Amino acid sequence: MIQLDRVSKEYPGGHQALKDVSFTLDQGEMAFVLGHSGAGKSTLFKLITMIERPSTGRIVVDGQELHHLKESKIPALRREIGVIFQDHKLLYDRTVFDNVALPLIVIGMPDDEIRKRVRAALGKVGLSGKERAMPQTLSGGEQQRVGIARAVINRPNILLADEPTGNLDTDLSREIIDIFSDFNQVGVTVLIATHDLQQVERLKKRTIHLANGEIVPIAQAEPEEQQ
Amino acid sequence: MKAYFVRHLQVLFATLGNMRRSPVASITTIVIIGISLLLPMILYITVKSGAQLTESWHGQPQMSVFLKPDLADNEATLIFDELRLHPKISLAEFVTPGQALEEFRAISGLEMELDFLDENPLPASIVILPITFAQNSNELSLLRDELVKIDGIDEIRLDLEWTDRFNSILGNINRAAQLLSALLAIALILITGNTIKLLIMNRQQEIEITKLVGGSNRFVRRPFLYFGALYGFLGALVTLFLLAIAASVLHEPLSELAQLYQQSSLIYQPSLREFGLLMLFSTSLGWCAARLSVAQHLGEIKPQ
Repeated sequence: MIQLDRVSKEYPGGHQALKDVSFTLDQGEMAFVLGHSGAGKSTLFKLITMIERPSTGRIVVDGQELHHLKESKIPALRREIGVIFQDHKLLYDRTVFDNVALPLIVIGMPDDEIRKRVRAALGKVGLSGKERAMPQTLSGGEQQRVGIARAVINRPNILLADEPTGNLDTDLSREIIDIFSDFNQVGVTVLIATHDLQQVERLKKRTIHLANGEIVPIAQAEPEEQQ
Repeated sequence: MKAYFVRHLQVLFATLGNMRRSPVASITTIVIIGISLLLPMILYITVKSGAQLTESWHGQPQMSVFLKPDLADNEATLIFDELRLHPKISLAEFVTPGQALEEFRAISGLEMELDFLDENPLPASIVILPITFAQNSNELSLLRDELVKIDGIDEIRLDLEWTDRFNSILGNINRAAQLLSALLAIALILITGNTIKLLIMNRQQEIEITKLVGGSNRFVRRPFLYFGALYGFLGALVTLFLLAIAASVLHEPLSELAQLYQQSSLIYQPSLREFGLLMLFSTSLGWCAARLSVAQHLGEIKPQ
């Protein structure tokens, strides 16, 4: 489902964000990417969603070779991937409904279908009845759920979550991670970047440790994680 | 297909809603566009009005043949008969000095002043209408040269001379209007393009998020194209509104002036088609400006 083969990314100015990163995430698999700030987690996600292109190496997502993907095909790729961000990336001048409906509006889905799907998605993340609320009136956890609802509304095969529990307390973090786990249970491939070792240990899923842009063995990574 | 049109309608109404949310910026842009279009429109109407006026004169090109003041009545009658029977003249009308004075009195409004004159200074004249094939400038000039040689004729005035000069001036105004229109079209593109650029910058986060969730460039740019087209359309409406105000203010004095020239109206009234073309031109210009601005600035915004 997601395959990285010796992927490196060097930004202009010489900063090497990723070095020779290789891993494969099978369909329906759930994994955590662990690493301190600047380890390359966000760059990894940017490469998978084609926000950035790798300097070297090969990335395959859902059978598509990203290296050969034309600029015009990128929107279609992003519709296959649901992305959740630590800062939620919500439109604060729009209602919860409008935020969640956005991925469906961009593909021109009829309004009736959008209404049905938004209600269903909000139900799944425990926000039924909040359609008309403005995001700033919601708590941090609720805003993150809106972000999750938006990410899953298009029924993507892949969910990427970049520090989804970064600003949440332990209980809320558990609830959010459990939502991802629920989606994984129904066959969605889930990749979560996090610092939250507690949640990682609780779910006992595969972990990919990044340090200074490289995949490292767990023993090497742990001291940095615990800092 | 239905969903496609519904989506466009939604974008249209959303764009109107966004304009309403920032009324000062929107109204300023629309009024600037309206005023920018007003100037070439006024010049266009001026040129058309002039053309309309000279057309009505050209419809009956005539010559005024002034007889020598000391000419005897029978000599004047002979000249009148000669002109009346001339093969290139279709109609001749004798105007006595008394009739000329009365006409001048009616047109000039100088009744009191004219009463102080001891004698009528106006000569007898003959107004002639050339036959159809002699109505072009060259033929009229030849006819004038021929008639002026007749003994007893003092002067011949060809009414076309000054209308030709007037037409030449109108031609120059027309060229100036075209040049000004082109320059103002460029200005409109720059004004609208800059406004769209500011809109793009203000909605940077929204654009980023839309691209992140799979919004294509076409989808992202659509609202901005609507903004441009609506600015152009509403700007043209402002132009029409300002023209209507100008017409209302100038109606009375121009009607009085028109009466003096025996015209029903001196001002050319654009047809619905011309108004439609103005709307189409302005809307297209706004759309083009938005398209250029979007092409230049949207690519700079990438999701972070």
